[in-house]
Amino acid sequence: MAGKLFTRRRDGRIEVRLNDAGRAAIREVFAHVLAAERDPDHEWHLSLNAPINPSSDDDDPLASLARQNEIASNAELSVMTLEEQYLTDAEGWAWLSTIQVALRSTAVMNGLLSDEKLEACDPELLEDIRTMQQFLFELAACF
Amino acid sequence: MPLVHPFRNSSTESDVASEVTVITERPWNVIVWNDPVTPMTVVVVIFRRIFGYSDNKCTELMLTVHHEGRAVVWSGQRERAESYCVKLQVAGLQATVERDA
Repeated sequence: MAGKLFTRRRDGRIEVRLNDAGRAAIREVFAHVLAAERDPDHEWHLSLNAPINPSSDDDDPLASLARQNEIASNAELSVMTLEEQYLTDAEGWAWLSTIQVALRSTAVMNGLLSDEKLEACDPELLEDIRTMQQFLFELAACF
Repeated sequence: MPLVHPFRNSSTESDVASEVTVITERPWNVIVWNDPVTPMTVVVVIFRRIFGYSDNKCTELMLTVHHEGRAVVWSGQRERAESYCVKLQVAGLQATVERDA
C-alpha cells in the first residue's frame, strides 16, 4: 500500500485509496466492533462499556445508552460505506472512531497497557495493531 | 368615566431587599488516560473535533496525557462532563469523569 491511503479533496470529501487487502482488513475491524456492541458475550464488549464515572456503582443509564448507540451507529455507517471511494466528513469520522475503538479494544483485551508489553506481544498481534495505527495515522491527517 | 392617575413610585430605588446566596460546587473533570497504542496525532484530532480547542492546546493536552498518564481535558457541570466523556469514549479514547478534589 504505497502512497497515501486517504486524502482530503478540495470538495471536502475524503478519497479512499485502499487496495483489496486494505479494504479486507478494514472490513474485519468494522465487523468486530459491530459484533462486540451487539453481543454481550463478545470479548470486546466489556472494553466498549468501560465506566464513565468509576466512583459510582452505576453510570447514568442515559449516558451509557448514548455511548452504545453512537458506537453502533459509527460502526454501521462504516460498514455501509466500506466500498465507497469517497467519504463525506461524517463518514470519515465514523471510520476513524470505529478503527480507534477497535485498536483500543484489542490493546485492552490483550493486556497491552504499557509500551513494554506492546513490544513484547505476539508478532501477529503486533502486526494487526501496527496496521490499524497506520490507517488511523493517515486518516487523522484528513481532519 | 373616572379619571385615572397612573400610580408611579417617585423613587427609582427598589424597595425589595434581595439576598443572593451563591453556592459554589466543585466542578466535574473529564480525564483522558494514556494508552500505548493510540497515535498522538489521533488524540490531537479527537480533542480538536470534540472540544474545538486550538491546535496548540490540543497538542499540549495530548503531551500531558502522554507524559503524566492522564490529563484533565475539560471541567464544569456534571451533565456536560459526562456528555464529553461519552463522546471521547465513542471516539475510542479511555476517558472518565471525576469530581474535582
